[in-house]
Amino acid sequence: MALHDNEMRAVYGMTLNQLMDENRNVVCLEADLSKASGTNPRVVEAHPDNFVNAGVAEADMIGVAAGLASEGKIPFCASFTCFASRRVYDQVTISVAYANLNVKVVGTAPGVTAGPNGGTHMSFQDLAIMRVMPNMHVYSPCDVYELRAVLRHMAAAIQPTYMQLIRPKVPAVFDESYTFDPESAVRVSRGDDITLVSTGYMTHFARHAVEQLAGQGVSVDHLHYPSVKPFDAATLVESAARTDGVVTVENQNILGGLGGAVCEILSEQRPTRVKRLGVPDQFGEVASEEYLFEKHGFGVRHIVQACRELAGKV
Amino acid sequence: MNQDFDRQAFDRLAAEWRYVITDMICRAKSGHLGGALSLVEIVLTLYWRIMRVDPKAPKWKDRDRLVLSKGHAAPVLYVALAYQGFFPKSWLKTLNEDGTRLPSHADARFVPGVDMTTGSLGQGLSCAAGAALAARMDDGDHTVFCIIGDGESDEGQNWEAAMFAAHHGLDNLVAVTDYNRLQIDGFTEEVMGLEPLADKWRAFGWQVFEMDGHDWEDIYTTIREAQAVKGRPAMILAHTIKGKGNLAVEGRPESHNIKVPDAEAYAKYMGALVERDFELPYC
Repeated sequence: MALHDNEMRAVYGMTLNQLMDENRNVVCLEADLSKASGTNPRVVEAHPDNFVNAGVAEADMIGVAAGLASEGKIPFCASFTCFASRRVYDQVTISVAYANLNVKVVGTAPGVTAGPNGGTHMSFQDLAIMRVMPNMHVYSPCDVYELRAVLRHMAAAIQPTYMQLIRPKVPAVFDESYTFDPESAVRVSRGDDITLVSTGYMTHFARHAVEQLAGQGVSVDHLHYPSVKPFDAATLVESAARTDGVVTVENQNILGGLGGAVCEILSEQRPTRVKRLGVPDQFGEVASEEYLFEKHGFGVRHIVQACRELAGKV
Repeated sequence: MNQDFDRQAFDRLAAEWRYVITDMICRAKSGHLGGALSLVEIVLTLYWRIMRVDPKAPKWKDRDRLVLSKGHAAPVLYVALAYQGFFPKSWLKTLNEDGTRLPSHADARFVPGVDMTTGSLGQGLSCAAGAALAARMDDGDHTVFCIIGDGESDEGQNWEAAMFAAHHGLDNLVAVTDYNRLQIDGFTEEVMGLEPLADKWRAFGWQVFEMDGHDWEDIYTTIREAQAVKGRPAMILAHTIKGKGNLAVEGRPESHNIKVPDAEAYAKYMGALVERDFELPYC
């Protein structure tokens, strides 16, 4: 069975187990969502002494993780994105980022992938609010190979970090040879007519859009950003200088996240027309992914349309 | 650096600390005087008679830890660490100065000997529980102490941490509540009633002690008893007087954060110290 035949959350649990095999200081923390995160039973059974359940108490989980990190442990704390980011925003801000402690916060079921849990659980803001926190790195891996590489990097780097974790199985974008560098964007495909910037869950949809656009005579420079912070500005600016148009797509509010980062950099370094795709400043709701893509305009066909319009090839 | 107890010497040292703390806060023109003064005897006892620390090795793995969750009381911790020799006493006069290494709230990033960065109330007990859990994972035999405020006890995260520490049987965790019965807006029982506080901690699975937070022997014997508890964390309710030893603020709600705009106010606060025949260690 290839790695990409697994659910993303399974790879999260499997990789934590491998990291614990190599380093007994790696600790898995959960807040009563361990089955949802993929660490139960995997980590619970393989490394019971390195598994800590805080119960439905996310704030305490973050504080405990900060205390563990202050003693040299490498805690990975998971919960749904809404609880791992906005619910514990002050705990992560002060006890982790401000204190500069080596805590890894993992937000599961990002954006539309929270589907059936609906508006209360569907966070479109976590990339934005984590990105504006000093000291934090913010990652959003798009497939199992990248997830595994990102987790290995997180365990090795002494660095407060927030990572989005998609839970279900997703199509592979990369393969076993993938390596992760938070300072570098990944050029998924090279082109000259338009730049398409994606992260996390939207990257495989963006890749489909690029394939369709190729058939329509539109050549896309597709940049995937596994790290929204730090953000590889040089690659974006170089691409924008060639294509003169940038489309961004993210499984988030269009305010403050990936699209926000792109606009900040381009407006200062290489003013370029930008179209941001994502959720236009609205809350989530109980709905299918297809419904939400259509409602908010960030599915494959919307990516195709935005790229053609900005490239002047309608 | 555990020292033999000499009541007269300890009384004198505590009075000197109150003098220095008042001066530090007055120089900074504002600060949390009341909650620092209420902790003088407790912090002094911890560092002089209880805690295993080495000022020359502030990150020594086997040291006892102290998380000052009520981070605004940092001046009393900074004085303790400076007098222990973790850093020069001359730093003390820089409290809150631009670019200082001694910010108003306890900061482990810049201050040798501070074990946890605190300041946003309610978070320190969770951090202390995490440090205690790490100690158990690593077979450490040290104690993690945590001091929380009574007003701070309004924060719900304390009670999450209370459940966590009891559930995990963290008997290497000893918490102290600075129970001076005052918070920013007034008396704790008027702003947000805490009583029956001892029963609350007992119900959460903690071994509860009470002590007079200004009585040297009571402090020492109670903390030692709390350290000896097996199978569960310990909470000591320390009955204290906010602003103790400075009559301008002692027992008064306005002691929480004083403003010292001019020489007249400075003279008022320094003149109200019960004992003030000291030389400042940094002038």
